[in-house]
Amino acid sequence: MKINTRQFGEIEFSPELMINFSTGIFGFENLKNYLLIKVDDDFFYWLNSVEEPEIAFPLVGVRVIDDKYPLENEHEAFGIVTMNPDILNISINLKAPVYINQTNKTGFQKILDSEKYPVNYNLFKEE
Amino acid sequence: MLILTRKIDEEIKIGSEISIKVLSISEGQVKLGIAAPNNVEIFRSEIYQKIKQVTIEALQNSSNKPKDLSKLRLNNIRKLNNES
Repeated sequence: MKINTRQFGEIEFSPELMINFSTGIFGFENLKNYLLIKVDDDFFYWLNSVEEPEIAFPLVGVRVIDDKYPLENEHEAFGIVTMNPDILNISINLKAPVYINQTNKTGFQKILDSEKYPVNYNLFKEE
Repeated sequence: MLILTRKIDEEIKIGSEISIKVLSISEGQVKLGIAAPNNVEIFRSEIYQKIKQVTIEALQNSSNKPKDLSKLRLNNIRKLNNES
């Protein structure tokens, strides 16, 4: 399959690489299939919609900042990142993690009950 | 929109698997008990709206990635866990 992405231009991939989100991402429930893309030296992952290739959410694995973050069995937790030209204003949504199983290619988003996870946690801090 | 009137301890069923029970009413607040299968997500509407808004902002800002990431230092969350 071929899609024309905003981040990576035209990319070709085999359909078994698609990750199925049966309930979608909140606000984008109609989009069910994504590619999880990470370029070698890029810190961020990109969750790129197959149905609407211009839609791509930047993600970070939550475990890199929180080793106690709630797990879902066999799924890796990612947070959707809101970019900002100023690195200190880049934030990650810890309230509604995106869980992805890269082996069986499934994913889902969840809203955590706990009050301690904000929707816009600063991902970086000053030296 | 369907409008139903219920008393305390009375229930509403949505389909065969979801039921909502009125537990208590006081001072402009209603306490509801909801029973639903595990695969049905339940949340307060305003939280859902907030998440949706943040996600749309993330999408709109996705091209604002800073060019220079060499200075990045992760804001480890251990502090957040200890506060709770």
